[in-house]
Amino acid sequence: MNENAQTATGMASAADNGSAPIGQAPLFKQPRDGFFELRGTVSRTQTIILGFLGVIALFLVWELAHYLTPEQQRKFVPSATQVTGKVIQLFAEKGFLGDVAKSVYRIYLSFFIACLVAIPIGILMGSFIKMRALINPTVGGLRYLPAASFVPLLLVYFGPTDFAKMALLFLGCVFFLIALILDNIEAVPRALIESAQTMGAGRIHIIFRVTFRSAAPQILDSMRNMIAVSWTYLVIAEIVAATDGIGAVMMRGARFLHVDVIMGGILTIGVLGVLTDITFRVAAHFLFPHTHARR
Amino acid sequence: MGLFGNNFNAAHHAALEAAQKEGKFPLSVNRVSKEYLNGERVAVDDMSFDIKEHEVTAMIGPSGCGKTTVLRLMAGLEYPTRGNVESFGMPIKGPGPERGLVFQAYTSFPWLTVIENVQHGVAIQGYSKAEQRDRAEHYLKLVHLIDFANAYPDELSGGMKQRVAIARALAQDPQILLLDEPFGALDAQVTWEMEEMVVEICETTNKTIVLVTHDIQEAVYLADRIIFFTSQPGRIKEDMAMEFKDGQRFKRKEDLLSEPGYVEMEKRLYTMMREEIQGRIS
Ligand SMILES: Nc1ncnc2c1ncn2[C@@H]1O[C@H](COP(=O)(O)OP(=O)(O)OP(=O)(O)O)[C@@H](O)[C@H]1O
Ligand SMILES: [Mg+2]
Repeated sequence: MNENAQTATGMASAADNGSAPIGQAPLFKQPRDGFFELRGTVSRTQTIILGFLGVIALFLVWELAHYLTPEQQRKFVPSATQVTGKVIQLFAEKGFLGDVAKSVYRIYLSFFIACLVAIPIGILMGSFIKMRALINPTVGGLRYLPAASFVPLLLVYFGPTDFAKMALLFLGCVFFLIALILDNIEAVPRALIESAQTMGAGRIHIIFRVTFRSAAPQILDSMRNMIAVSWTYLVIAEIVAATDGIGAVMMRGARFLHVDVIMGGILTIGVLGVLTDITFRVAAHFLFPHTHARR
Repeated sequence: MGLFGNNFNAAHHAALEAAQKEGKFPLSVNRVSKEYLNGERVAVDDMSFDIKEHEVTAMIGPSGCGKTTVLRLMAGLEYPTRGNVESFGMPIKGPGPERGLVFQAYTSFPWLTVIENVQHGVAIQGYSKAEQRDRAEHYLKLVHLIDFANAYPDELSGGMKQRVAIARALAQDPQILLLDEPFGALDAQVTWEMEEMVVEICETTNKTIVLVTHDIQEAVYLADRIIFFTSQPGRIKEDMAMEFKDGQRFKRKEDLLSEPGYVEMEKRLYTMMREEIQGRIS
């Protein structure tokens, strides 16, 4: 009845204006969402296009740098196309795939072991304040030791073995990983834990089903950030007495002043890093549907 | 609290039943003081009262007067500095499922859907899978949220989130339901709806409820008894039975307004609140 009254008055006023009240109101024309709109919006396609534009811009600057270098030194600044060609040649003729596989294996295995160590320690420290008091000063201090300074020690202990390299990669990230995971665990709202307690949950239940579960997306994020650091240690790990791996190929290139090989190595590490990042993001998307469930 | 949880076992159950038969109170606060910062701040000062079974007791008072502190002591999340809190004659040694708590902050687990959240609490009590589902559905219906069973908490409005929390607390079948300003963050219309829902829950479940609120009208509407706290340190200013209601529960809040004695009661509470706030300023 109320609705009828409203339409009636609506008709009357429309008739007064002399315009026909037929159909819907015209579509609202949004004010433009320009490039520098503060906290603006971006569509999926735009994200992809802009991302590629960024990459293309980098390569353009690189090409430009090559041609702007004086003729005599130009071979020390190979162009993007030359380096890409070199990488393809390395893969096709020099068995580069084996080196890449070896490096990936070292990174992933050492990182996996670092997580196996860091996650339980982080959870223990984050859940039990006395554990934290026991462990944190030591671990906190160890973070400040540059992993590279362990290289000579590891060489003396383990020689030029795979183990020595992975040990370095492990040392490079494990202490930071512990600190980050501790933060993630401590950031779990106290009220979540307390509400589980008032439901009668025990400590084991709370640690695994509440604290860990609540912090899991952030822990995966910490892992994603720390494996990036691990990639940055790769070359240091593979420099010394290495026969295989991306770092070893780059060092061999350096000995013969093959700048294109060195840059090819850098490019490969960059691409592998990005792929690792994407892997983690995709995993997070499927593991934690609630983090992207919105109205 | 046991390492594997759920200390609410058969022996405990039997002891509780015995205590109920003896006429012991669901909660009794005996000369409780709670101090913080090594005694520099006294949140609660020598407070004693009993909570009676099947009653809705509201604790009300100005901000910072120790309402949350008392409720947390009852829940077992904190311990008193002096005195003790007992439940059915047994000292409270920690949190337990027989005392369900709804927090002012949202405490649904964001990684679980609405129904999984409610089931989670039930599962801890050791119910079978089928029973868990049944109970969860039953209580979601009671709080009018069954249509959102498979949504994630982040997809819900504030009022809906608090309804999840209430359903979750009820589904664990507590003997006492503790509510800490459960509607404090909600707007007036949603609060009103939720208050009427609480009346409905009282009718259907007949739970003993302790409600903390700063809203005078809410306290008068929902409570059978109001305990008014003084401001810092918290003491009992007045302990009032809502006699004018004569044991009635009003399904519609507006029906309360025409009840003789209602206006006087509300006026009295406002006067008390003013005294406490002004006492603090001067
Ligand atoms: N952990 C703590 N450390 C120090 N002081 C505290 C702590 N918890 C509470 N207090 C103090 O105890 C007093 C009572 O706090 P409480 O949270 O119980 O008040 P409240 O009545 O619930 O207030 P509100 O209505 O604002 O929620 C306050 O003065 C507060 O500052
Ligand atoms: Mg409070």
